[in-house]
Amino acid sequence: MNRKMRGRGMASSWYGIARTATIDRAGAWAELDDGGTAKIVTGVTEIGEGILTVLAQVAAEELGVRPEDVTIGDNDTSRSPEAAHAGATRQTYMIGNSVALASRDARAKLFAEIADHWDVPVDSLRAFNGELWAQDTNLRMSMDEAVKTCKGRGVVPVGSASFTAHGTGLDPVDGSGSPWQAYVFGTQIAEVEVDTWTGEVQVLGIWAAHDVGRAINPRGVEGQIEGGVVQGLGQALMEDYQTEKGYTTTHGFAKYILPTSLDIPQINCTIVEDPDPLSPLQAKGIGEPALVPTAPAIMNAIYDAIGVRIKSLPATPEKILDALRNHVPGREQIAQSARQDRAEAHRRGL
Amino acid sequence: MPKIDLTMDVNGRKVVKQTEPHKRLLDFLREDLNLTGTKEGCGAGECGTCSVFVDGKLVKSCLMPAAKADGAKIETIEGLARPGSLTPVQQAFHKTGASQCGYCIPGMVMAATSALRENPDAGIEEIKERLGGNICRCTGYTKIFEAVEIARDVIAGRLPETALDEDATGESFIGANVRRLDAPSKVSGRLKYAADMKMVDMLQMQVLRAPMPHARIVSIDTSEAEAMDGVACVITADDVPGTDGFGVFIHDQPIMARGKVRHFGEAVAAVAAEDLVTARRALAKIKVEYEELPGIYAPEDALKPGAPVIHDYAQDNVIKHIPIRKGDIDKGFAEADLILEDEFRTQQVEHAYLEPEAGIAYVDHDDVVTVLSPSQNITHHRHMLAHILDLPINKVRFIMSPVGGGFGGKEDMIYQGMLALAAMKTHRPVQLNFTREESLVASAKRHPSRVKYKMGLKWSGEITAIEFDMLSDGGAYGMSSEGVMRKAAILSCGPYEVHNLKVDTKVVYTNNTPSGAFRTFGGMQAQFATESMMDMAAEALDMDPFELRRINMMRIGSRTHTQQELTTASLDRVLDAAEAASRWEAGAPKVRGPRRGDLGGPDARKPCTLGARIGDAADTETKDERVAS
Repeated sequence: MNRKMRGRGMASSWYGIARTATIDRAGAWAELDDGGTAKIVTGVTEIGEGILTVLAQVAAEELGVRPEDVTIGDNDTSRSPEAAHAGATRQTYMIGNSVALASRDARAKLFAEIADHWDVPVDSLRAFNGELWAQDTNLRMSMDEAVKTCKGRGVVPVGSASFTAHGTGLDPVDGSGSPWQAYVFGTQIAEVEVDTWTGEVQVLGIWAAHDVGRAINPRGVEGQIEGGVVQGLGQALMEDYQTEKGYTTTHGFAKYILPTSLDIPQINCTIVEDPDPLSPLQAKGIGEPALVPTAPAIMNAIYDAIGVRIKSLPATPEKILDALRNHVPGREQIAQSARQDRAEAHRRGL
Repeated sequence: MPKIDLTMDVNGRKVVKQTEPHKRLLDFLREDLNLTGTKEGCGAGECGTCSVFVDGKLVKSCLMPAAKADGAKIETIEGLARPGSLTPVQQAFHKTGASQCGYCIPGMVMAATSALRENPDAGIEEIKERLGGNICRCTGYTKIFEAVEIARDVIAGRLPETALDEDATGESFIGANVRRLDAPSKVSGRLKYAADMKMVDMLQMQVLRAPMPHARIVSIDTSEAEAMDGVACVITADDVPGTDGFGVFIHDQPIMARGKVRHFGEAVAAVAAEDLVTARRALAKIKVEYEELPGIYAPEDALKPGAPVIHDYAQDNVIKHIPIRKGDIDKGFAEADLILEDEFRTQQVEHAYLEPEAGIAYVDHDDVVTVLSPSQNITHHRHMLAHILDLPINKVRFIMSPVGGGFGGKEDMIYQGMLALAAMKTHRPVQLNFTREESLVASAKRHPSRVKYKMGLKWSGEITAIEFDMLSDGGAYGMSSEGVMRKAAILSCGPYEVHNLKVDTKVVYTNNTPSGAFRTFGGMQAQFATESMMDMAAEALDMDPFELRRINMMRIGSRTHTQQELTTASLDRVLDAAEAASRWEAGAPKVRGPRRGDLGGPDARKPCTLGARIGDAADTETKDERVAS
C-alpha cells in the first residue's frame, strides 16, 4: 500500500425551505421614490448570505429600476414590517417573495396613473432598468419622470405585501404532516487523499450539484455552496467542541480547529433549477442544504481510499490511524503495510 | 494608572496620543483612534481579523502591545485607498463576491495585500499559504482565492482593469451576477458592527460566569462591587421585573442564573461601569456562594433512573421526543434479503462566526427599551423581552446590527436581556462585547448525536424498512432543541421513499454547554447516518452508489417519511448533474480508490505541501512520493 491513498465518495441530501411544520409568513413595504429610485422596507437584514443584494435585484426587476437604485430599510422591529428570523433557509423564499409582491403592488399604482396619463391599456406597460414604456407605441419615459408624473397626479406609488408558506404541524403519534411546501435536493462527490502514516485527510475536490429552484444571483448561490461545503469539511475532519465533566476544554481557536485556506478543496458547483410552482419568484433556497452531504461524502471517500469507515465524526488523524491499526477486521494488512513502508523509509535514512 | 505617550504614523498621518499602558495595538487603533475597520475576532492571534501593517509587515494587532508600536509606521484597512475609492484587491473582492458577512474581510484584504506586496507574482499555492493565518467562516475561501488572483493579474498588467468591473446584465436582473451592494463597506472596513459603535455616555458591561457546571446558588453579594468608583450598576436575576425565561421553543432559560447554574460559563451577574477595566475589576468583588450538585455529562446518563434532575418541569430530563411512523416495519424487515445495523455519532460543533456576540442597549426619549445587536431573530426576541421586562410590546425595540456570521448561533437571546436591564437601571447606553472565550462557553452549539440505524433491503436494492433512533445532547437549556429534533426526524431517512419506517429523535438535558440552532438544524446529523448506511448497503449489494440511490429516490408523487405527497422532486436531476460533472466512474464502493480512473482531474486541486512561499514545494512532494514507492 502506498503511503498516500486516494478515493472518492458521494452522498445525497434533501431539505425543506422556510420554517418547519408551521405556517411561515413575512411582510414588506415598497415605494417608487423620487429620481426613479426605490425604497424597500422589511424587518430582516443580512447575515452574510447576500439577501440585501437579492432583494435589490428582485425589487429592481419588479419595479423597473436598477439594483443600485434600491435602498433597503431593514432590521428594526419598530420601523419595519415583520419578516421574522434570518434562518431556516427562508430569506430568499419568504422575504424575496414578499418584496416581489410588495413591489408589484407599488408598480400597479404607478402603472395605473401612467396608463391613464398616456391613455393606453395598463397591461401594455413595461418597465426595466430605469425606463418605462408602452408596448407597440413610441411612448417611453424614464422612471424619474414616471414617478414625477404619478406624484403630480396626487398619488405616491407605495405597496405592501405579505407572503405565506403553508406548512402543517406533525401528528403527535405518527408524525404525519406536510412540514414544507418546497423541498430541495443535492448531491456531492468528494475526492480525498489519506496519508496512511499520519492519518491526515486532504479533500482535493468537491463536486456539488444543488437544486435551488431558480438562482436569483448565481455567484451568490456558489458562495453559499462553497461556504456550506467548507463548514461540512470542518465538521467532517477537524472541528470538535469538547467538554470534560461539563468544563469546556476547547476554549479558544488554538484548541478549536477550523478550516483555513490550506484545507480548501477545489469546489465545482452545478446549479440545478427546478422552479417552485407555488411562489412568484420560483426560487427556493441553498443556505443550509449545501452543508448536508459534505461530511458523508468525505467519509465515503475515505472508505474508498483506505477501507476504513469512520462512523463517529470528526475523522481526525488519530481516529484514522487508530482505525487503520486496530479496529477494522480484515484491514490490518493496510496498517502493517504502512508500518513496513515507514520502516523502509527509516532504513533509508529519510 | 499612569498613562503612556505614543507617537506613530498611522495611515500617513502623525498621531501623538496618551493612552493606558495595558492597551494592545488593536485597542489603541479601535478605541483611541476610532479605526474600527480592524476587528477583534479571537484576541489570541489565531483568526487574523485584526491584521495591520506595522513598518510594512503584516502583524496581528491583538498580539502587539500599543507601547511596542511607538514610533512605528502603521497602515490599517482604512489607509489602503483614498476615501471613496478601492484598491484593485478590494475591487476584486467586490467583483467575485469574496465578502459575505464581512467581519473577517478587512483582515483578509490586509493579508491578500501583503501577499501581493511580498510577491507580486505569487502563484495560487503561495497565496493560499500567505492567507493561512486568516480564518473566514462564511465563504469557503474559494471566491477569496479568485479575487486575489484577479487582483494580482490586474496589478501586473496581465489583465485589463476592466477585469474588475461588474459582469454585464442581460434582459433581467434575476439570474444576473449583480455585485453585492454591501461589499464596498465591507472590503474597506467602513461597515460598523455592534462592537464598533459608540454612544455618548456609554457604559461597558462585563459578565460574571458560573465556574462550575451544576450548582445551587446559596447567595450573591454584590454590595462591594456596587460601592466601587465607576460602577454604575450590578444586576442579577433579582432585577428582572417580569416573567423571566427565554428560549426558541421552551422559555426555560433565565436572563441570568436564577437559584442555580446549569452549565459552566452561564451568566450569574453583570456589571455596568464607566470603562471595561473597572467593570472587570468589579466582577472580582461579587461574592457568590455555590453548593455543587451532581451533574449529567452524557445524554445516556440523563435517561437513567435516579439521574439528577436539571429542570424541575422535566423530571425525566427529556426536552423533546419526535416519533414518525409509516407502514409496518416488522413486515418490511421480514421482506428484506439483507439487514444492516450500525451506529453513528456526531460531535458538538461551534458556529465560530468571526464576530463574537456584541450589543448596545439604551432607553430612548419615548421610554422605549432599545437593543441593538446581531440577533438573527429580532421579532421573537422583542416578544420575549417584553414579557421578561413586563413592558408593552411597542416599548421594546430590537435593531439588528450587521451580523458578522450567525449560522443559527445568534438566534438565542443569551445577552440582550442583561443589556436591557442595565440600561433600564442606569438610563445610560450600555455595551457588552464578548471575548472569544466567552462566546465559546456561553453560546449554543450543534447538537452532538448518536443514531442507531437498522436498514432492510432487497437484493434489487429496494429499501424495505428503516428503524432510526437518535439521541441528542441538548445541554443545559432547551433553546432550539425541539425544532432540531423535529427537522432531524422529518429528514432522517434521506431523500428516499421508504414504505415502512419507525423514526424516533429524542433530546435530553445535561450539564454540558447548550446545543441549539446550527445550519441544517439536525438535518446533517441525521443524513450523515443515512448516507453512510447507503454506501455500506451499496457495498453489500455490489452496486454503484448512484444506482442504489436512484432505485430508492423520491420522485414526483412519492410520499415522504411524514406521508406528504411530493408535487416536485429533483433528486434525479442533481444525481445526473453531479455524476456527469465529476466524471464519476461507476462501480460498487468496495475500496476501489487504488484502481479508479477518475482521480486527479483538472477539477481537483493538488495535495497541499507546505513551503510554496520558499519555492520548493514541488521538490518536497516528489521526495515524499519517492519515499512511499
